[in-house]
Amino acid sequence: MWDIPPIPRRQWLRGAGCGFGALALHDLARAASDPTAARLPGVTTPRARRVIFLFMAGGPSQPDLFDPKDAVRKAHGTTISPPVDPTLEKVGTDKFLALAPVAPILPRGQSGALISDLMPHLSGIADDICLLRGMHADNNQHAPATLQFHTGSVAEARPSMGAWIGYGLGTENETLPGFVTVHPDSDVRTYGSAFLPAKFQGTKLSATGGPPIDNLADPTGRPAVQRARIDFVQEFNRKLLAEAQADAVMQGMIESMELAYKMQTTAPAFVDLAQESKATLDLYGVGGKDTDRNARACLLARRLSEAGVRFVQVTMGGWDHHGNIRGALPNSCRQTDQPVAALVKDLKQRGLLDDTLVVWSGEFGRTPWSQDLSGSSPIDKHGREHQPESFCSWMAGGGIKPGITHGETDDLGYRAVAGRVHVHDLHATILHQLGIDHTKLTWRHAGRDFRLTDVYGRVVREILT
Amino acid sequence: MKSASTLFVVALLTVTAVAAEPATDGESFYRDQVLPLLRKRCLECHSHAGDIEGGLTLDSRSGWEQGGDTGPALVPGKPNESLLVKAVRYADPDLQMPPDGKLPAAEIAVLERWVAGGAAAPADGPVGTRTKQAIDIAAGKSHWAFRPVATTEPPVVRDVSWPRDDLDRFLLARLEKDGLRPAADAERHAWLRRVSFDLTGLPPTSAEIAAYMADGSADGDATVVDRLLASRGFGERWARHWLDLTGYADQMGTSNNVFSEHAWRYRDYLIASFNTDKPYDRFVIEQIAGDLLPESDPERRAANRVATGFLVLGDVEIVSVDKMKLDWDTADQQITKVGTAFLGMTLGCVRCHDHKFDPIGLEDYYGLAGIFLSTKSVHKIPIGVWSKVNEIELPETDRQAAARLVAEQKHRERIADLTAQRQRLQTRQKEIAEQLKSSPAGASPAAQAPDANLSPEKTAPPAEPVANSLRAELQKEQERVQAEIGRLNGIITHAEFFAPKAPRTHGVLEAEKPIDARIAIRGNPRATGPVAHRGVLRVASWSQPPPMPADQSGRLQLAQWIADPHNPLTARVAVNRIWQKLFGAGIVRSTDYLGIRGDAPTHPELLDRLAADFVRDGWSQKRLIRRLVLSHAYRMGTAHDAEAAAKDPDNTLLWRMNRRRLDAEAIRDGILLVSGRLIESVGGPSLPLEYPENTGGLTGNVNPPSFALRKFRIEQEFERTVYLPIIRSGPQPGPALLREVFDFPQPATFASARSQTVVPTQSLFLLNDRFLRNRAADTARLTLAAVADRDPRLELLWLRVLNRPITPAESATAAGFLDRLTPLLSDSKQPEQDAWTELCHGLLSTNEFLHQL
Repeated sequence: MWDIPPIPRRQWLRGAGCGFGALALHDLARAASDPTAARLPGVTTPRARRVIFLFMAGGPSQPDLFDPKDAVRKAHGTTISPPVDPTLEKVGTDKFLALAPVAPILPRGQSGALISDLMPHLSGIADDICLLRGMHADNNQHAPATLQFHTGSVAEARPSMGAWIGYGLGTENETLPGFVTVHPDSDVRTYGSAFLPAKFQGTKLSATGGPPIDNLADPTGRPAVQRARIDFVQEFNRKLLAEAQADAVMQGMIESMELAYKMQTTAPAFVDLAQESKATLDLYGVGGKDTDRNARACLLARRLSEAGVRFVQVTMGGWDHHGNIRGALPNSCRQTDQPVAALVKDLKQRGLLDDTLVVWSGEFGRTPWSQDLSGSSPIDKHGREHQPESFCSWMAGGGIKPGITHGETDDLGYRAVAGRVHVHDLHATILHQLGIDHTKLTWRHAGRDFRLTDVYGRVVREILT
Repeated sequence: MKSASTLFVVALLTVTAVAAEPATDGESFYRDQVLPLLRKRCLECHSHAGDIEGGLTLDSRSGWEQGGDTGPALVPGKPNESLLVKAVRYADPDLQMPPDGKLPAAEIAVLERWVAGGAAAPADGPVGTRTKQAIDIAAGKSHWAFRPVATTEPPVVRDVSWPRDDLDRFLLARLEKDGLRPAADAERHAWLRRVSFDLTGLPPTSAEIAAYMADGSADGDATVVDRLLASRGFGERWARHWLDLTGYADQMGTSNNVFSEHAWRYRDYLIASFNTDKPYDRFVIEQIAGDLLPESDPERRAANRVATGFLVLGDVEIVSVDKMKLDWDTADQQITKVGTAFLGMTLGCVRCHDHKFDPIGLEDYYGLAGIFLSTKSVHKIPIGVWSKVNEIELPETDRQAAARLVAEQKHRERIADLTAQRQRLQTRQKEIAEQLKSSPAGASPAAQAPDANLSPEKTAPPAEPVANSLRAELQKEQERVQAEIGRLNGIITHAEFFAPKAPRTHGVLEAEKPIDARIAIRGNPRATGPVAHRGVLRVASWSQPPPMPADQSGRLQLAQWIADPHNPLTARVAVNRIWQKLFGAGIVRSTDYLGIRGDAPTHPELLDRLAADFVRDGWSQKRLIRRLVLSHAYRMGTAHDAEAAAKDPDNTLLWRMNRRRLDAEAIRDGILLVSGRLIESVGGPSLPLEYPENTGGLTGNVNPPSFALRKFRIEQEFERTVYLPIIRSGPQPGPALLREVFDFPQPATFASARSQTVVPTQSLFLLNDRFLRNRAADTARLTLAAVADRDPRLELLWLRVLNRPITPAESATAAGFLDRLTPLLSDSKQPEQDAWTELCHGLLSTNEFLHQL
């Protein structure tokens, strides 16, 4: 029922009063009484209007991608002595064998940022990114570290970054969800709203071509019957509401059913990439053997961002290389490098990069020494263990200095020694670029004021333009 | 010790080495060197003029003397013991200041010399004096929740005919004071539906409705309530409420889908506890210290052990590589859970600093920490870096032991049978290999290709077409046999892994030797301060705290202290939570937090009276619930009243009953009952681990065995939701998907009140979900089979789904709807069934079905 005019899509989305907006998981019961969409104290002029967070699930190997060390390369295959707490459990890493990078890591662009040969597309946009080499986090296991990257907390259930941002800034466009997550991690907390109102939780979308949301299609395939049934239900609902006179939940459920009805047609239309030009599809690698899934996800991220979604997250897995990193890491790079770089290029050419903050990161990094779970493989078949003590992320756009490298690690690339940026600091910086003071964005829950950054966090001013 | 003193000597040498520098012990050194440095580097975040991060100010002497959350910032004369110096040295990754980078060596040296020289500085200037806000326990006891429970006589009311119970008098007096009237009574049908859902999580059946309507006696209500309290559904409902406070899942931690194989025993323990109306004080003690209770009966001893699952079934990070931290984090989670569930206090934040609002200090927290650090909850396993939550063997009754012997025998026979099958296949495999070796390769190159691995010299006879077809058949069989052997291997591994054994449970054990914890700086167990003796919350103590035993953790003493009738929090918290479940909001709205920043009780005398009566009645939850639902207040209708709404829009005074939407469990279970599909369950394992395809890594040595829920038991589609598996690492699976849509809490949180949201995913569920669709079809079938004509069918359906008689107007609307569908379903093979399915689907998605009115 919705014919999508070719351009300008942005206006179309804004104008489509009940279009894709149906996707917004608005907590309709609270929308009326809840003033949280209003600007909060501590919100100032923003440098970025929206964020695209590219989450590399599993822990990309920074010793192979961004942070080479001579000492490690020279000692390849031999034991090194790292400053590791001996009481910590180790599996397959007790020999501490140095592992040289999988492929050459060379200076790129004017800035000379060090990027692996495995990422030729990212190398091509080296001067657009700010490489953070002093990242660190608190936990070296996927689940808690992933949770910390998304919520600030390694356990429990706290609101996710996108939820906090939605709460702080409201949505740019009432017809859109404020927070969309494409192919999210399995832990629902990574896009949950926890104790914040549910309207701030992430809307989960699939970009693979099937139904983008659960229960979107009528299993009976009889739209007229479905509509007749909805009319029947709504007649009863309205009568009951009239008797109750005031009931926010019932009112919300009546509206929500109409929204859901419309979503059945508008949501599939929105994720349909047929509107995009061939050049754009090719730029991202849509249809490419290795790139298709992530290309679709990144392109969808651009469409969502362009249409005014505050926080878009795309999760790309497959970075957890405990073994045979020489064989497997190139695959992960092939699957992500072109789509990710295309997103930055595309945003830039559309003039969106200035006020869109792109963040690329895993939940932690990997050790400079090898891991061999079998205990008997040759060094060339080894992988690397998780490492939260240091890892690399990058940011682009949104008021972040392009073409710089910030932070460095020790001689082995184990501990960040300068330009240290904790996950809390990254969160503080993201909020700052959106015009939010991370110490003032709070929510009272169980007698306490909670923040995304808990009691931590420092804006990394050194990387701001 | 040695290294510390070495460091100290080094520091002394450093001081000696710089002796030629200007004196560091005078105020001038402070003024000329230290103060400018502090201004430049520290005061932005640590001063009265700037922020007071971590509670620390450095703009005055009292500031560093009092220190921040982690204690005094420096020890004059002792740089190596001074947090300030440690922080600027950047040696400890958890204590590094300033945060944006290490100071130049010369600046660090200034601070070291200043502290070594005695940290001389002028008395506090105009910036303001920092006084340590010590926790004032005595003053803290004046907060209402820490005062003893008072028993007030019920107040006098003007309308003496309204109250049915003393609790009604408290409510009515308060309403009358504001010139309000309680709402008119709910219809009898509405009350029956309300109380049925509240007590059992299920709607009334048509027979139950008929029985209640036919019973005109004065105690008709009590008959219903007693029936509901005696039904198994009561425990199934209220156990689930309790599970919300525990972070319960059938998964250990969150990483890698590790199954919590025995978690269901705790769920079944809860159901039994509610159904047998276990006194609440006993219920508390068993869950904290059941393992320490003397008990000779094996069944009861087993139940006591299972009860301690309360302490270990949350989100425990069993994959932590730092096992010391794992122990501390687990203890922290237990303290937080005990605080929330039993005491209505937030204790987790006291791990790092004195409570900001409540009179609870580090000493209180670490007193509790000692108790739980003297308790074993997890242990390292020889698989990768992993730990596991304890799996404790349970005592068996003679009957259980006998049954196990039979099961073990059966298991051995099964293994023998499977092994024999495999043996036969392996024999056949060898035969095929022999035959292939001895039979000729095909003549055509195409046929030869697959035989490349057979050496050509040995295929002596010339190729024959007949031999070719034989070879192809043999090769096919070889593949089949190979696959079958693989399948059998999987089945045998699985059967051996899950071989019958004595029952086990997840629970706690005593540590070998109890310890008193040291107060940890910022919660870091590797940076500890003074010892805090094991103990209980001082502010909630009514006399001398219980002495802690030298040979036990102190869990039993803690549990007994919580369950003591004098404890000011325990009964109030319990009563308030039960009230919330029945009336939709607590007397204290912040049900999990009765502290200073929580909500004040709307009816403090009522709360206390109920708490006192609860204890007097032997801590019986059933008696309390019975009393509440038989009150006149619970009987009120939900009708709107403009005047009352203007005075009390949030209904805090309870001038009408709150309308409540059904929670996820009640929606799913209600639909199952209405559609005639609900099947009774007696509990047992939630995870269908008996299917080999649902398990993985059973023989792994890097990661522990895990589950993958590919297949559910057929009955799980129709069992009550409380019995379905709960996982933490993703959306709730399979038949439990509905939980995900309707606000099921993340199984890592401890909270008694669920959030209630209205989002389009719920409406999409109501429109298109297959579960709802199929149950609507079942409901239609039942209705069509029951009677022949439209009108009686509609009457039946309304009673079945909405639990009330249909009105003439609704009858007409429904008939109109069915007529409208006739042309739309003209191509249907079963138009009548399909039309009634639509009608049932519609009714099951109305707000009326989804609410308690």
